[in-house]
Amino acid sequence: MNTDQSLSGEANRPRGLITRRGALALFILPLAGMVTPPAKARPLRIVCLDDGLAETLLTLGVTPVAVADRGVWEKWVVEPALPPEVADIGTILEPNLEFLQQLRPDVILSIPYLDGIKPLLERVAPVTTIGIYTPDGQPYQRAIEATRQLAALVGRESEGVALIAATEACFSDVRQQLAPLSARPVYVVNFLDPRNVRVYGEKSLFQAVFDRIGIRNAWTGETNYWGFATVGIDGLATSDDARLAYLEPLPEGATGTLTESPVWNAMPFVRNRSIMRLPAVLMFGMLPSASRFARLLTAALMAENARG
Amino acid sequence: MAEQQAILSNDASPVRVRTSPHRIADRYPVGAILLCLVLACAAGAATLSNMSVQLPPALWPAAITNPDIEDMRQVLVHYAFLPRLAVSLLCGAALGLAGTVLQQVLRNPLASPETVGVSAGAYLALALATLLAPSLLAFGREWVALAGAFTALSAVLALSWHKGLSPLSVVLAGLVVSLYAGAIGAALVVLRHEWLASLFIWGAGSLGQQDWSTTLWLLPRLGGAALLIGLMVRPLTLLGLDDEGARSLGVPLGAYRFAGLAAAVALIAFVVAAVGVIGFVGLAAATLARIGGARRLGQQLLTAPLIGAALLWAADQAVQVATGPQGDLLPTGAMTALLGAPLLLWLLPRLALGAEAPALTVEHLPRSARPGLVLAAIAGLLLLLFGLALLYAPGPDGWAFPSGDQLQPLLSWRLPRVFAALAAGAMLALAGLMMQRLTGNPMASPEVLGISAGAALGMMVALFALNDAGRPVQTVAATIGAFAALLVTLAIGRRAAYAPERLLLAGVALTALFDALILVLTATGDPRAMLLLNWLTGSTHGVDAGSALLTGTIAFALFLAAPLFMRWLDMLPLGAVAVQNLGINLGAARLLVLLMVAALTAASTLVVGPLTFIGLMAPHLARRLGLSRALPQAIGAVLAGALIMVCADWIGRTAIFPRQIPAGLVATLIGGPVLMWLLRRR
Repeated sequence: MNTDQSLSGEANRPRGLITRRGALALFILPLAGMVTPPAKARPLRIVCLDDGLAETLLTLGVTPVAVADRGVWEKWVVEPALPPEVADIGTILEPNLEFLQQLRPDVILSIPYLDGIKPLLERVAPVTTIGIYTPDGQPYQRAIEATRQLAALVGRESEGVALIAATEACFSDVRQQLAPLSARPVYVVNFLDPRNVRVYGEKSLFQAVFDRIGIRNAWTGETNYWGFATVGIDGLATSDDARLAYLEPLPEGATGTLTESPVWNAMPFVRNRSIMRLPAVLMFGMLPSASRFARLLTAALMAENARG
Repeated sequence: MAEQQAILSNDASPVRVRTSPHRIADRYPVGAILLCLVLACAAGAATLSNMSVQLPPALWPAAITNPDIEDMRQVLVHYAFLPRLAVSLLCGAALGLAGTVLQQVLRNPLASPETVGVSAGAYLALALATLLAPSLLAFGREWVALAGAFTALSAVLALSWHKGLSPLSVVLAGLVVSLYAGAIGAALVVLRHEWLASLFIWGAGSLGQQDWSTTLWLLPRLGGAALLIGLMVRPLTLLGLDDEGARSLGVPLGAYRFAGLAAAVALIAFVVAAVGVIGFVGLAAATLARIGGARRLGQQLLTAPLIGAALLWAADQAVQVATGPQGDLLPTGAMTALLGAPLLLWLLPRLALGAEAPALTVEHLPRSARPGLVLAAIAGLLLLLFGLALLYAPGPDGWAFPSGDQLQPLLSWRLPRVFAALAAGAMLALAGLMMQRLTGNPMASPEVLGISAGAALGMMVALFALNDAGRPVQTVAATIGAFAALLVTLAIGRRAAYAPERLLLAGVALTALFDALILVLTATGDPRAMLLLNWLTGSTHGVDAGSALLTGTIAFALFLAAPLFMRWLDMLPLGAVAVQNLGINLGAARLLVLLMVAALTAASTLVVGPLTFIGLMAPHLARRLGLSRALPQAIGAVLAGALIMVCADWIGRTAIFPRQIPAGLVATLIGGPVLMWLLRRR
């Protein structure tokens, strides 16, 4: 498989792909907070239990005191980088409550998935629960509202407005660039093992990005409210001209065995050599993940197109 | 070889045939053959229907012999549908054969790949290797699986050795080992918290294929093991006789027993390495072959693989009918386990297992002359650890005793947890002691009764059927589930005056049913399955002052009632006849003891999850310390149970700070080896 080109230099390529205005807005955002501290005497001490909320905070220029499962970040979220001083408070389902209390947070950010431990968290600090992935399946709309809510919480309303604007700007730039490539639909998957994938469809953040950058999602089937369906790879044969974009990280042992499978080799996108390997993007993320996905997908599509 | 052939063609049990030489039904397993035909017809029809959904029949010959690589439908039939069919047949046959050999060698009508823990051991070894040391898999999955399978089997045999490998004790030990392996597997997933848990799909026995490589991998390995078994038909037949009879015929029993076991375990390990755990096909095939009239071992060794193949074929095609060709999401292995558990329940009253000799009375363990001193020592140790667990733990600045104003907030977190762990450990220990004295079986424990499985089932229903089930709702659902399971167990046991064997086996079946459900749910990748898994590992994380107080109150009330049972508990191990001669109403005594066990188990399960080895381990610990009468042993077990659980909670909170290991899991991890040591051959 000659799909590894898309890997190299992924951090640099997107900058050239969108207009200067959008790019600048995105890249300056995290710096903005560091330069001018807010008027408050002491910044809010925030503990964030969800990586989507944490990436938004970081992009707004606020560093949380602690996150859950911080070891996962480098593998699944990647960008924005998590500063080293952010503490790890243990697993998402069982954060260390003693430790949490000793961190003296002012507010704990949680998601509805963790409502079971909310009474415990409330003994430490007020809990703000923000739901992005809910049964109504509108993660992008909810992410925008949540961004405003978070920005208001940390007193960075203007940064929040800028983040939303930058995300929208990123989409419209990408949309123009990708217009010549929009005829063929794309599957976005994570490999579970060499035989099975999670394919992202309606109710996913990626679907919202697709809709805004003018690309058709090749997966039109149902998904759960986290936005994915679990299928065997032969389930991806329904579209003849689809491309496949698969996200890192790959499970151990999936890479080698894939190329040997005759079913895999007979898949339309394998025969057309329309396979793209994307660096990790948080699939349960918010606006930063959405624009990261748009940029990475654009880079991969352009590279694939250049290959012919 | 020629001699071997001649022996093979001989009837191994001529007496039985001579009694009715003219009836075909007695000479051939007609029932089993008929069953095979019916299953094969159904499976064949489903196969044709499934295949015609994928590809018009006109293209079948081309797709089978020489598929057009441009036509995805033909590719899928040739490289996905047909290999899956072949794998289902191969694995079904291998499991049927393995089940029959296991039953023969262990002389145990309940032995099967799942009930003796072999599948679970192979699975855990592969899961551990995948997550922690992927390079090991490069040597070959089969070696990893074999190592795990043999470890599990050795543990099961060691645990049931002193009961003479009786059917019940082997199955109980198998269940304990399976639970142990399952707990470690769940812990791996929970502690790693990754969004992609592909282990679930494979572990639940997905038969999905994408080429012929698995088929070609399985064929020589399964063939070799089957050939080995084929060469041993006569010695294996003799193993079914009693030891004296076989030995007088000059058979080296030990060698053949080991060779037979090795071949069966190898078959199972290969199947697990290829497709994961396929529940209950081995048990069903071996049992149905016997019920279907296969009396001689030779016949069983032929019919059981046929039935196994037909069963798994039919089950797999049925799954594909239900889900379309993408059957992976409803893993076939978990589905067969769902069907197999009711089969086990149905079988129970129909099997002649033989009564178990009471065991606890014949143990020659030292008796302490001064039990009071021993008890005081354990109590002192408990106090010491209780204090340590409350006060000494790592914080942001390393290990420290908190002082001054730090103390109050820390205690508000630690006290409920430590107290709940203490109460739950004590209750489980008492429940375990009562179970072991009731059943006369040292491997009996509260979780084996199926009550914990029932509680977990209730929890599962609450999580998946109700939106936003909070903690109170979950607690109520778990309580209802626990008592529903108890009712089922009692209904099954009632006809046999609550005979211990029946109760334990009903519990085994319920637990297996529950495990299968968990597998099906987790294989869908639903994030709620993570919540369930988290609870299953037995954490005290969510305990607040209210629930700790409630648990403590229930424990206190139940302990007040405990002395009323002590006379029965002294008598019950003497055996049914002795108890009745003493003028005790056996049925009533057993029922009351069971209800007490159920209450104790349910109350502690709600706090620390369904799985701890405290109930199993603490009574043995007390006995080892020389406490032999019911009352001192009970007090000793309760103190020891509390001690171990407090210790487990402390370790779990501090070992990988700020992360935490659930207390139930720590207790399990400590408990497994300790139990092996306590029950070591005497």
